[in-house]
Amino acid sequence: MTTAPPAAPASGAARTAARRPALLLLPALAALLVFFGVPLAGIVWRALTDPQPGLANFTWFFTHPANLDALGRTFTTAAWTTLAALALGYPYAYAMTQAGARGRALLTLLVLVPFWTSLMVRTFAWMILMQDSGLINQALGAVGLGPLHLIRTPTGVVVAMVQMLLPFMVLPLYAVMAGVDRRLLSAARSLGARPAAAFLQVYVPLSLPGAAAGALTVFINALGFYVTPALLGSPEDSLLSQEIFTQVNGLLEWGRGGAMGVVLLAMTLGLLSLGALALHLSGNRRRP
Amino acid sequence: MRPPRPRPPGPRRAAPAALAALLLTAACAPPAEPAGIDLGSGPPRAGTVRPGALEGTAMTFVSYGGSYQKGQEDAAVHPFAEESGARVVTDGPTDYAKIAAQVEADAVTWDVVDTDAIWGEAHCGDLLMPLDFTAIDTSGVPEGLVGECTVPAMQYGMVLTYSTEAYPEDPPTTWADFFDTDAYPGKRGIGGIPNDPAPGPYEAALLADGVDPADLYPLDVPRAQDRLDTVRDDLVFWETGAEQQQLLESGEVDMAMVWSGRAYAAVDNGAPYTVSWDQWLPVMDSLGVVKGTRNPRSAMAMINYYLGADQQARLTELTSYSPVHTGARPDLDATAERFMTTAPGRAEQAAPVDREWWSANQQDLVQGWSSWLAGR
Repeated sequence: MTTAPPAAPASGAARTAARRPALLLLPALAALLVFFGVPLAGIVWRALTDPQPGLANFTWFFTHPANLDALGRTFTTAAWTTLAALALGYPYAYAMTQAGARGRALLTLLVLVPFWTSLMVRTFAWMILMQDSGLINQALGAVGLGPLHLIRTPTGVVVAMVQMLLPFMVLPLYAVMAGVDRRLLSAARSLGARPAAAFLQVYVPLSLPGAAAGALTVFINALGFYVTPALLGSPEDSLLSQEIFTQVNGLLEWGRGGAMGVVLLAMTLGLLSLGALALHLSGNRRRP
Repeated sequence: MRPPRPRPPGPRRAAPAALAALLLTAACAPPAEPAGIDLGSGPPRAGTVRPGALEGTAMTFVSYGGSYQKGQEDAAVHPFAEESGARVVTDGPTDYAKIAAQVEADAVTWDVVDTDAIWGEAHCGDLLMPLDFTAIDTSGVPEGLVGECTVPAMQYGMVLTYSTEAYPEDPPTTWADFFDTDAYPGKRGIGGIPNDPAPGPYEAALLADGVDPADLYPLDVPRAQDRLDTVRDDLVFWETGAEQQQLLESGEVDMAMVWSGRAYAAVDNGAPYTVSWDQWLPVMDSLGVVKGTRNPRSAMAMINYYLGADQQARLTELTSYSPVHTGARPDLDATAERFMTTAPGRAEQAAPVDREWWSANQQDLVQGWSSWLAGR
C-alpha cells in the first residue's frame, strides 16, 4: 500500500478526541454490548439453566452421535470451502495486482457485484443452475456428459458457499499482495533464483498474512452458514446451524440450541486464537 | 439546613417521563381490545360478525405467507376487518420460536396464528389458549377436525404422485409400489424437514411393510425407519412446498410423496405427473389463538368469521386447498376439482392419521426423525 501523506495538524477538539480513543469507541462498544453482548450472555445463561441448572445440555450434545456428526460435517464443509476459496482466490488476487488500472477495476467489480446481491437470491440462482435439469446439466448434456448430481449434495453446497465467500478471500489477499514490493522478486532473480523459486520463496511468504486473514474470515463465516446449506443441501448432511434451528424452532429446546451455539462459538474462538498465535509466531520468526 | 424544595414536574421533565412510559408500554404490553365488546346476541353463526362490533380493536393475523396467506387474507381476514371495524395487521411466516418467546415474555403481539395442526394440539394450553366455542360456530366443520385450542384452517393430503413419462404403463399407485425399487426403479421425493416429522413417511413405510391400516397406531417407528432405510439411496428430500414443486417441475424425481396442493400446482404448470389417491394421508393446518393475547374476544370473532361457508369456498378458489366447511361450494375447473381432498369418494380412500397420537408423542418423534435423517 502507498504510504499515507503526513496527517494535517489536528484542531484542538480533534486532538483531545485523539487522545481519548476509548471515547470514540464508546458508541460502537455500547451498541455491541446491548445488541450482541446481552443476547449472547442470555444464550449462555439458557444453555446452563434451561430447563434445569447444570451441564445437562452440554452432556446431551456430546453424547448424541448425530450432534457430533453435524459438528464434524460443519468443520469439514468449512475446511473444503476455505481450501477451494484459497485455490481460486489466490491467482485471482494476484491477477488483480498485475492488471492495468482498467483491468483491476473490472476484476474488483466482478468480485464485488455478487457481494452486493442478496445471499438468498444467489442461493436460489444456484438452485436453478444446479438442479438435475438445470443449466449446468443441460450444458453437460449438450456435449454428451453428465448428468452431474449437484443439488442436495455436499459438493453442491461447497461450490455455492465458495462463490458466496470468495470476496472475503480475494479482498484481504489483494490488500496484502498490492503492498508486496515487487523489486524483491527482481532482486531474487538477480541473485540467481529461477522465476518459480523466486515466486515461491519470496512472494508467497510475503503474501501469507493476506492468505491467513482471508482463510480465517472464510472459515469462520462458513462455520455459521445457514441459508445456503439449508436450501441447497440435503437434510441428511445438515450442518450445526441447521441443527440449532431444529432445536430452537422445531422443538423449542432453547437450552440445547444455546449449548450448541456455545460449543460452536467456543470452537471458533479457539481456532481464532490458534490462528492469531500462528500468525504471531511466524511474524516473529521472519523478523530479522 | 433548608430542606430541598420539591420541584414540580414541569413540562420539560414530564415529557421525557411520559415518552419513556409510552415506549415501555409499547414494548411490554401490546394494546388491548376495548372492554365490553358486544359481538351480538344469540349463538354465533360462522362467517358473520356484527358490523362495527370491533371498532377500536387492533389485532394481528399470522400465517405462512405466499399465495396461501394472501388467499386467507382476501377470503376472510380483510373482509372481517372491513365488517367488524377491527384494524387487522398481518404478519408472517409463522415461527414457533417467536410464539414461545412472546408467551414467555408476556408480550404477545400475534393473536390468531396459522400453525401445523399437530403442533397446535401439542401446545394447547402452554402456547395456545382454549377457544371459546360460545363465540365460534363449528357446526359446518367436518367431524373430528376441531380441537380444544384449534380449528382447521384448511385441509390437504399427503399423496403419491408419479411421472407419467417415467411410468407410461403400470404406474406405482400404492405405498407398497413406492417402496418397491425393483419393480419401480427411480428417484423418490419425500419430506425431510428435521424439526417437522409430519405424518407421511412412517405411515407409508408401515403400510408398504404390510401393516393393516386399522393397526397403524401406535406407529412402530423403528420398523418404519428400517423400511425407509431399504430405499434410502433412492430418496430425495424436500423441506418446503416450493421444493416439492421444483422437484416435480424439473423432473428430478420419478415419484414423490407431496402435498396435494403442490402436486396440483406442478400439474397445473404442465409437469407430466399424476396423483394416486390410494391410501392418501389427510393433513391440515390449524388456526389458534396465542396464550396471553390482548385481544381474545376479537380473535374468537375472527376465527368464527374465517369458518364461514362462503369464506371457505373463496379460500379454496384462491389457494387450491380444500375447504373446512361442508357447505362450501367453490367454483373450480376440472383439474383443481380432481385435487380436492373433499371430492366424492376421497374420504374412503384415505389411510388413517391419528393426530392425537402424533401430538402426544411430538417431542420424541422430532428427535427420532432428525436422527434418522442425519443417518443415525
